[in-house]
Amino acid sequence: MGERITFAIAAAVALGSAVGVVTLKNPFRAAVSLIGTLLAVAVMFLLLAAPFVAAIQVIVYAGAIVVLFLFVIAYLGERPGRFEHDPMARYEVVGWIAVIALGVQGFIALANSRLAGIFDDPKATGDIGSPRAIGEAFTDPFVVSFEATSLVLLVAALGAVLLAKRAVLGEGGR
Amino acid sequence: MSDVALSGAYLGWFVLALPLLGAIVLALIPGEPSRALTRVIGVGSVAAAFVLVVSLFAQQLSNDAERRAGTSTLWTWVDLGSLQVDLKILVDPLSVLMMLVITGVGSLIILYSTEYMSHDRDYRRFFVEMDFFIFAMLVLVLAANFLFLIVGWALVGLASYLLIGYYHDRPSAVAAAKKAFVINVLGDIGLVLAAFLLVRQLGTLDFAEVFAKAPQGLGDGTFIAEMVALLLFVGAAAKSAQIPLHTWLPDAMEGPTPVSALIHAATMVTAGVYLIVRCNVLYELAPHMSDAVAVVGAVTLFVAATIATVQDDIKRVLAWSTVSQIGYMVMAAGLGLYSSGMFHFLTHAFFKAALFLAAGIVIHALHDEQSLDRMGGLKNHLKVAYFATAAGCLAIAGIPPFSGFFSKDEILAGAIEAGTLGKVLAGVGLVGAGLTAFYMFRLLFRAFHGPEPDGGYHETPHASGSAMAAPVVILAALATVGGFIQIPFVSHNLRDWLEPAITADPGIEAGHGQETLIIVLSLAVAAIGIAAAWWLFGSGPERRLARAQKLPRLRAFLLDQWRFDEVYEAAVVQPGRDLGDAGVRAGERGVGQGPVIAAEAVTGAGARILSRVENGLVRTYAMAVIAGAAIVGAILILAR
Amino acid sequence: MEGIPLACYLGVSGGLFLLGLFGVLTRRNPLLLLLAVELMLNSANVALVGFSRYWNVVDGQVFALVVMVVAAAEVVIGLGLVVAVFRQRLALDVDALSSLKG
Repeated sequence: MGERITFAIAAAVALGSAVGVVTLKNPFRAAVSLIGTLLAVAVMFLLLAAPFVAAIQVIVYAGAIVVLFLFVIAYLGERPGRFEHDPMARYEVVGWIAVIALGVQGFIALANSRLAGIFDDPKATGDIGSPRAIGEAFTDPFVVSFEATSLVLLVAALGAVLLAKRAVLGEGGR
Repeated sequence: MSDVALSGAYLGWFVLALPLLGAIVLALIPGEPSRALTRVIGVGSVAAAFVLVVSLFAQQLSNDAERRAGTSTLWTWVDLGSLQVDLKILVDPLSVLMMLVITGVGSLIILYSTEYMSHDRDYRRFFVEMDFFIFAMLVLVLAANFLFLIVGWALVGLASYLLIGYYHDRPSAVAAAKKAFVINVLGDIGLVLAAFLLVRQLGTLDFAEVFAKAPQGLGDGTFIAEMVALLLFVGAAAKSAQIPLHTWLPDAMEGPTPVSALIHAATMVTAGVYLIVRCNVLYELAPHMSDAVAVVGAVTLFVAATIATVQDDIKRVLAWSTVSQIGYMVMAAGLGLYSSGMFHFLTHAFFKAALFLAAGIVIHALHDEQSLDRMGGLKNHLKVAYFATAAGCLAIAGIPPFSGFFSKDEILAGAIEAGTLGKVLAGVGLVGAGLTAFYMFRLLFRAFHGPEPDGGYHETPHASGSAMAAPVVILAALATVGGFIQIPFVSHNLRDWLEPAITADPGIEAGHGQETLIIVLSLAVAAIGIAAAWWLFGSGPERRLARAQKLPRLRAFLLDQWRFDEVYEAAVVQPGRDLGDAGVRAGERGVGQGPVIAAEAVTGAGARILSRVENGLVRTYAMAVIAGAAIVGAILILAR
Repeated sequence: MEGIPLACYLGVSGGLFLLGLFGVLTRRNPLLLLLAVELMLNSANVALVGFSRYWNVVDGQVFALVVMVVAAAEVVIGLGLVVAVFRQRLALDVDALSSLKG
């Protein structure tokens, strides 16, 4: 029962904060709201027997990424965009229909799923979430994807440096 | 790797690889390689190939006749069920003879060009293309099946195109290159069609198998055998500049002189002769086509010789003389005198290369002056060129003991033995020999004897350096003594040597009476020709200019080269152009352009509509993706 | 011991995804756009880890970690672009950045 209560609270926080993320006008508040979602998702990971992923979620996502967001928001300051007119206005209906249609389709797909026992309590689990299990998975079957991620990070780092450098040159080396 | 007999046949692959490697390495050196390095690679790769060929030749010499031919297969190239084509080379006396000339004369000429081309900006490109040509030509002669042969055939055409158009900023050179390429492709088509026929009739393209199966598969004198021979001859005639496909060769003189010497005198243009000799079995099965080949050769040798008598461009004289001499070879091959044809090929490679290279020395010394009108008295300035030209002229005119005497007389003497047709053609050949002596000594006298042209030379013609002189001297020496390998009455070394390759040799043997008759007659006509040349041209231009007024229409006809180009223009090019114009008028505007305009309107309107979708707003794109996903999802759910 | 069925996690995942989608479609500030994208990536992670639990294998979690790496890379580049745009003194509006249109 405790588990279910925990899940209910986590789900409510996650979805509630997500609504905040997409509705709040102030970027700073939206980013803080995202922290709520991320932490709630981390709790769900714990419930899903994935403590390592949960830890990474807190450290990397809620820690590093959101802090980076907040840093940039603080650096840019309050700057309203040019919101005179919305060029998207006449397509907005299509967007709404598409979003709602996707939601309905997801619901139908879930309700009609043929996967056995997705509405039942899950079976007991083995050791799939410990750092040891994940480490072994990354060193044996997924070693190529592991190396690929390192390459992605390297490229991203180089790209960020290049962008920042060009930006500095663009304003005359201020 | 070697299939039979000749154990060193695999060396042929290295002979092939060396010039190709030279060309590739030279082409890929980054930056501008030093001239010394270019020379070393350009000449070295071909010279190394020559050394290999000599070693192959030595191995063949030490073997007895049955073990002088061998094949070597790298891998199966095409496997189409019943038809299998291997990447296979054939090293036999015939191909080794060709390779000796290609790499030997080739390396001499490339050595010569190191100096001849020294003023050229594109030094490297020249040697890359020359090495590539040597490679292509080696593919042609080494191929052991028709498919591989066609590859070499086409590569040689490409190399020839590149080298004729070497001075690509000169429109006439580009036009000449195009002309040569188009006519050569006509020949390629003939060759390809012949290969199709062979596949259909015999189910194989391998030389050995084709020649073994041909007597049963094609039959003797049947229509299909004649067709195969005809189509092969279309290819041979285009490469060897035989009438009516000869018009490209004189224009090909737009290329640098070493190119003319190597490709358009010594090697490539003899590929047709090689093909006929190689396919001697097929030609023995097609007696009518063989006769036709011989007639074409005889007509060519006569027409070309008459044209050569009036040309004023020193290279054009040599070009027409080449056409004429190849006519002799083709005539010999058509009459079944295969080994005599190859003998003349060998001596011709020597004396014509020597003549071209000597002409190159003259042209070089006079700063690209090619007109005989502005030459004269050069024997005092250019000793090497003079003696080489003299040796070449004596050889081509058939004066003993120079090489041309032996080979030409062997053809003519053999022709007399080859039936009535042969007797007639021998007569044509004799007339041609007289004309040959006349026009060659005309060249010699006008360029080297007599007074210097009006006003003398702007600057004294400078003698060439040793890199140009040495090859000329060597080739002139070979032109002098090269004929001794096969002397009438005494020996037929070459014929014995080629016997394994020429399996269908009809064995025409000239009697002593005929030989003596031919020797006397040909010496007589040569003497008349030389005497006439001396009388007209030996002592300055006065007598020549006086005589030029006589027979103006014949002279104009010959100067226009029998008006072949004009006839082709009227018969082929202009109708084609008219047809095209008519097509434009009738079809293009109405039938052709209607759908085009409609299609343009539709696509244009579509593009204008679609380009409004590309409005640059990222969120629109995101929305399109989402809408698409929703539609796909709906379809998946509904279709369940 | 009571657990939570997979369907509940998938429901949460779908909800987060749709909210993120809604954000992507409505936001014009690139910073807020990126936040919405983060939401969508997280929803995918929830589904991945949920399935990992359902099938009782580690693969889904491994994939979730890879997604996080990609998310980090995406944020770094995205924020770099935002800063670059800002330094060019342009408005922070994705609709203003449309000079690559056809």
